[in-house]
Amino acid sequence: MDEIQSKIKFVNVSKSFLNHKKEDRILTDLNFEIFAEEFVCVLGPSGSGKSTILGLIAGFIKSNSGEVLFNSKPVKRPDSSRALVFQEYALFPWLNILDNVAFGLTAKNYSKAKARETALEYLNLVGLSGYKDHSVNQISGGMKQRVAIARALAVEPEVLLMDEPFGALDQQNRENMQIELLRLFSKTRKTIVFVTHSVDEALKLADRILVIGNKPGRLLLDITVPVSRPRDFNSPALFSVRNKILDKLADPDFFIGADI
Amino acid sequence: MKIFTIRIAFFALLFLVWYMVVTICKIPPYILPSPFGVADSFYYGFLKGAYCVAIFSSLIRVLIGYFLALGLGIVIGILLARYYLLDITFGRIILALQSIPSVAWVPLALLWFGITDNAVIFIIILEAVLPIALSTKNAMKNIPPTLIRAAQTLGSRNLHLYKNVIIKAMIPELVTGLRLSWAFAWRALIAGELFISGMGIGQTLELGRSLADMAQVMAMITTIGAIGFLTENIFFGTIEKRVRIAWGLEGGK
Ligand SMILES: Nc1ncnc2c1ncn2[C@@H]1O[C@H](COP(=O)(O)OP(=O)(O)OP(=O)(O)O)[C@@H](O)[C@H]1O
Ligand SMILES: [Mg+2]
Repeated sequence: MDEIQSKIKFVNVSKSFLNHKKEDRILTDLNFEIFAEEFVCVLGPSGSGKSTILGLIAGFIKSNSGEVLFNSKPVKRPDSSRALVFQEYALFPWLNILDNVAFGLTAKNYSKAKARETALEYLNLVGLSGYKDHSVNQISGGMKQRVAIARALAVEPEVLLMDEPFGALDQQNRENMQIELLRLFSKTRKTIVFVTHSVDEALKLADRILVIGNKPGRLLLDITVPVSRPRDFNSPALFSVRNKILDKLADPDFFIGADI
Repeated sequence: MKIFTIRIAFFALLFLVWYMVVTICKIPPYILPSPFGVADSFYYGFLKGAYCVAIFSSLIRVLIGYFLALGLGIVIGILLARYYLLDITFGRIILALQSIPSVAWVPLALLWFGITDNAVIFIIILEAVLPIALSTKNAMKNIPPTLIRAAQTLGSRNLHLYKNVIIKAMIPELVTGLRLSWAFAWRALIAGELFISGMGIGQTLELGRSLADMAQVMAMITTIGAIGFLTENIFFGTIEKRVRIAWGLEGGK
């Protein structure tokens, strides 16, 4: 194996928000590391602080204490080395599909023509080059999320952050997108941090799963999924990982905050 | 096509009834002239140029007031959106000002500026500044934060972020503000012009009254309505509709 390169590292990270003048502790003493070309799922219930973790990595949320490191350097502000894909797509409605994908490239001072040419390659990668001139509200939810993924990949990020990207899709679309994402992952070998609250989605996608507990959010389990893809859901190894996760989630400690 | 035919028929009938009432009841022209009387007034007014000059002078006046109001209103809107303290103090006054009809400002404007153009421009600014200020404030407050975050993680910041996301996200609301401000400016213009000297649609209207020339009065009222309708509904209405379709706020095609 090559030398393993650390991409993202959380060192004693805590985060509180002010809610009605009261400090509300969301994440507490978070320590973990994510390595290059890893597909990591962050799994946890609603409100456990998963989106906050992605915001910290992206750089638009600042921690109260501890350090968030990217390539061993503290994260200062958002940039295109860590692109984020949102559940609600967040496409720019005033741009057509192609120009949405080209958006980040124009920020990199590409000429308009070059940006569009490159954007078309990425649109092709997600199978939507035929829709390049459509407007955002003319395509389905699944297609919007493909465009959002193409838009994020086009800026060639080192890390792709995804916040419940398939949460708004129906079952069929969701499964298609999962297969599609794994195809893109094996093709581009990006580091991916994928937030979900579905155990099965995490088991299907991740090399490693970080289970986050609630109130305040903390790391309950850091577990590797030792099964090669495509995964057989009947494999005993996967079954055992699944049970370990469900055990943790059933832990009463998980519902009742540790310091309440 | 059918609608068009119905409309033509309706107006033809309206003019016919109007003409018949005036001739059969022998109504004197200073109470109600016949449609031909009004048409005559238009014909000679435009032929001799008096109406053209009036319309031109009024448009210059309203455009000066409108653009000054836009500049001022956008700055006020940005400040209200940025500074909470300003919003809960000065911002309240602005909301209250909105319920004062423009004609109520006329005495004040006349005392300050005399019966001059400046008085009218002052009234126009006072009226037109409110909608654009409020639209600017709302547009700034309603920029979806996820769009800004998405842009930032794609590497956009500073000027690129302003030009390509923040201003773009504000445009639909701003266009609505531009239209409303124009509508307010147009009404304020006429209210003000009734009281000042010089050329203009309002002055011509008032002159018609003092000469008991009802045909001229009706010609000017028609002119006010026509220009107002063309600018508010046709010009601004079309732009607003196109923007809303392009921004995906309204179904198109
Ligand atoms: N800007 C903010 N100000 C105040 N509180 C916040 C802010 N952002 C998040 N929170 C609170 O922090 C907690 C965690 O939020 P977060 O969005 O990270 O959770 P999540 O795990 O992503 O939940 P979900 O699965 O519902 O998306 C929530 O209780 C939320 O109300
Ligand atoms: Mg979330």
